[in-house]
Amino acid sequence: MASASAPAVPQITLTSSDGIDISVDRSVAQRSVLIKNLLEDLPTESTNEPIPIPNVNEAVLKKVMEWCEHHKNDPTTTNDDDSDSRKKSTDIEEWDQRYMSVDQEMLFEIILAANYLDIKALLDVGCKTVANMIKGKSPEEIRKTFNIQNDFTPEEEDQIRRENEWAEDR
Amino acid sequence: MSNFKRASVTGPPAQRNVLASLRATTIVDSKPILPAELIASILDYLPIPALLRFARVSKRFQEMVYDDSRWVQRLKSMGCWNDAEARQRFEDSMKRKLEGQKALNGSTSNGTSGGPTANRGSTLFDASMEEEKQRRSLEKMGTRKRGGTNDAGFDSPTLMSNGSAVSQSTAAHKDPTFALKVISVARSIRGFARQEYGKIYGALSPYYYDLARSKSHTDPILFRTCRDPEQQAAMLSQLKIFAKSDFAQGWRSREEKLDSMIGIFENAVLREFEQGLEAKDIDGRMRKYAHVLVTLNGGSAGMDTFIQNHPLMTEKERLGNPLECLEGGTLNLQPSHDFFSQLAGSLNVQAGIIDRVFPPSVDVLKPFIDRVAEDVITEYITALFDEAHDGNIEDYLKAVSGVFEQCLRFAISLVPSRASSPQFTEQVTTLVVHCFEPHVDLYLQEELSFFKTKSETEVGNWEKRLSEEQATSESFFLSNVSRQAAKQDFLSSFRKVVMLPVTAISAPFASAKPAPGTRSSAMGSALEPNSRSSTPNPMERSNSPKQQEAPTSELAAKAAIMSSRLEGIKSLFSIEIALNLIHAAKASLERAALFVRLGGQSGEEAREQCETIFIILLQILGTRHIKSGFDKAVMHLSAYNPREITEHGNGQQGVEPLVTFLELVNVGDLIQQMVDVFYVQELVQPKLSDRDDFLSPAIKEKKKFEQILDERVAAGLNKGIDVLMNEVEYICATLQKPTDFNPVLAAGEGLSDIGPTETAKRVVHLVESHTSMLVGSTEKNMLDVFNQEVGVRLFTALCKNLKRQRVSVDGAIVLISDTNHYSQFIRSLRNKSLTQYFDALREMTQIYLIDPSHAREIGKIIADPDRYHGIFRAEEVYEFAERRADWFGVKKEVERAMYGMGCMVM
Repeated sequence: MASASAPAVPQITLTSSDGIDISVDRSVAQRSVLIKNLLEDLPTESTNEPIPIPNVNEAVLKKVMEWCEHHKNDPTTTNDDDSDSRKKSTDIEEWDQRYMSVDQEMLFEIILAANYLDIKALLDVGCKTVANMIKGKSPEEIRKTFNIQNDFTPEEEDQIRRENEWAEDR
Repeated sequence: MSNFKRASVTGPPAQRNVLASLRATTIVDSKPILPAELIASILDYLPIPALLRFARVSKRFQEMVYDDSRWVQRLKSMGCWNDAEARQRFEDSMKRKLEGQKALNGSTSNGTSGGPTANRGSTLFDASMEEEKQRRSLEKMGTRKRGGTNDAGFDSPTLMSNGSAVSQSTAAHKDPTFALKVISVARSIRGFARQEYGKIYGALSPYYYDLARSKSHTDPILFRTCRDPEQQAAMLSQLKIFAKSDFAQGWRSREEKLDSMIGIFENAVLREFEQGLEAKDIDGRMRKYAHVLVTLNGGSAGMDTFIQNHPLMTEKERLGNPLECLEGGTLNLQPSHDFFSQLAGSLNVQAGIIDRVFPPSVDVLKPFIDRVAEDVITEYITALFDEAHDGNIEDYLKAVSGVFEQCLRFAISLVPSRASSPQFTEQVTTLVVHCFEPHVDLYLQEELSFFKTKSETEVGNWEKRLSEEQATSESFFLSNVSRQAAKQDFLSSFRKVVMLPVTAISAPFASAKPAPGTRSSAMGSALEPNSRSSTPNPMERSNSPKQQEAPTSELAAKAAIMSSRLEGIKSLFSIEIALNLIHAAKASLERAALFVRLGGQSGEEAREQCETIFIILLQILGTRHIKSGFDKAVMHLSAYNPREITEHGNGQQGVEPLVTFLELVNVGDLIQQMVDVFYVQELVQPKLSDRDDFLSPAIKEKKKFEQILDERVAAGLNKGIDVLMNEVEYICATLQKPTDFNPVLAAGEGLSDIGPTETAKRVVHLVESHTSMLVGSTEKNMLDVFNQEVGVRLFTALCKNLKRQRVSVDGAIVLISDTNHYSQFIRSLRNKSLTQYFDALREMTQIYLIDPSHAREIGKIIADPDRYHGIFRAEEVYEFAERRADWFGVKKEVERAMYGMGCMVM
């Protein structure tokens, strides 16, 4: 297989933060705008060298590349309609839902990696997943999820609750 | 909170610098923490309740959630955020703050109680002031916004007291009537977008989510809280707007649900409306449900139903069958006229009904008329035109322009409804005119080709007839003697007529129009009422909408006279043909000119077509007709040989071909003037062509036409002079008897009668009658040149004649009186150089008067060059002197006097 498709699909090598080399199709890796821009800026001969991805460890990088592999044929979204596409969020695809059913730690890692690698669609999916996750949660549960200290006095918190009573589900 | 951010920023660089083992431990130990901007983007996906719970997590999160721009965005998505209004409010509050500050300063310095003032100055948002402001904005909105909510007739003051409180009063969103207009009362205040959105959300979201969850259309509370269909419609349309601010996941299905619910509701209302329509319950159900539909979504569905099911559409056949216009093979536009007046009548009735049924915020009449134009009018005219086109082309042309005119009047006669825009009439005209657009191209093309073929057949027929009659007309032409008188008569009346349009043109048209018109028409009928029947009366255009009372266009009046007068010149070219052509052109032009009003491309094309019609007129008239006529006349002229004509003796005074030719010149001039008047009347006045635009093809062609005419006239005159002079010479040669100037007298007997000889009289009469014909018809310069040429040639001919005669002293008196006769005629031409020639001739003839005994004097006179103004040289005078009857007797003496004594010696 490698002998047949290797010339047709150029491969590049990514080095994760923990020093592991991962070889992926160039087109797959280019779902990441960061890598795409990098490759465009590099001279052609040096694309054979491994590209260090210092912020992402092997597990996450592999997971991210799995997503890229699956979505490699998606039309690339232009950043122009950024504001508009955010306004009306689409539902999460089934595949993505399964992809995102990981523990919260991994989910956050994926989001961070997508943010760092500049993979807009993946970032969106991640954010939506988080949004779904916290949708029904109480403030206290949210604090736990995000590892945040409560800096409100009970009075203050109650004040905010009353302020926004209109939004409570009835 | 701050540690949260730091963790994410410092984490990665640390990983790079520190050893791998250390790095691994960091990852394991620390939970990954999302940076703020990622959390912010997560917030975008949260539904509102979760979002606000999120605000309770920590101060940092509250800040993020409360961020005004997040809420402004939502308000904007519903179209109820107004940047200008927000800025205004902001500036106002800043001003108040400043004033408060000032007041505070003032009051503290005065030492009076400044507490409350200071308090108010420092608060950015003041409830009482906001209340007042809201009242103002509410009033403003009440006047300018959404007739639907306005019409509902709710008590706005009570509502305001509900909505004015910024901190949420729970009563507000429980009250369904408040919810009905919550979006329209939303305010744009910086820093309070969340509260404003909260009000809307509070009022609408229960209905919205309930509706999204509901299984069937009877479920939603919405339909239970609001019983009145109008309120339900208002609520649904609000929810439709509200749905736009629902960003959270699942919005698509919620919106679909809403849409389908609106659809169901709309259908139900539409059914009610249709039933009302069928029952003709105009002020009841129709009105009620039309308002509901308008409130719901602008009422387009209602309008469609109204228009679609309108009896005017379904029973359009009743208005008239287009083919009625063509019944019996002839075009009759009365049925179409009836059709349009009926249509206009029923449309005006409809305008009234529309006013009663629909609220004034929607313009139903325009789409209605649009539809009528499309369905009824277009269908009607297409059927009519197609049928007419298959039949007679002329009928087709008349039908198109006639119906177009009717359509325009139809458009003007329509009455606008209350909701119509001020440009209603223009809009309707455009609509109606639009129906004609597909026909215009074909029409213009047909018009042009129709005119072209018509004029060409006319000219062709005439030419054919002429060639058949050639032989007979030739003899008729040469033998008819009595026509001279008729021609003179014609010329005199003709000149009068020619003068008329000239004055009419130079004077301002409007004022001059009636006077010459009536005069000429009166003259026309007085002069030749009998032969009028033979000329087609072009004014009687059955379909012409223009006034047909006599001479609005003096062209027509003039034409009537002219065509009756011009029986004489049939053989060369016919003024009648020219008139027919001009009238055909006029008819075509007037028809085509209507379409100039179409405007845009079609209008421009129509205008160009008008010019083209004019150009074709000129080409056919000029090149085909007049030019060939002139050419033939010139041919006749050059073929003329006076010696072959035998009838000279019987009193005929003219040179026939020349007379004819000069008449032609007159007629040509007449035609040219007609064309000019035609151009001004039909093209310049309706602004189809610009007189000063020298690039315009019409102007160019007109110039060319005039040029052709001038050239022909010049060429003909050239030949004519030859012919005239031939005739003069012929007269001189045949009539001048040798005894005229050398009378054989018994001694002592005097001349019985002193006066010009018969020859001189004949010559003068001949020349005079021809030159005078040109007066007034030819351009002055050309006339001068012609006269000059005639004079000079006459002079030469006379000199030549004189040199053939013998002149005795007695005959000299006759000769002198002849010469006087000539020069008198020449003087009448008022040409100075010519007069000089004949003066010289007169001086010269005196040499014959001198008695032979004073031969020396003769010599002196011959040698005196001043006498002849340099016209004769001494040698020439000497030659004349040789013609003395007694020349050989006096020759010696004369020569001696001339050349002095030298000869004596010899």
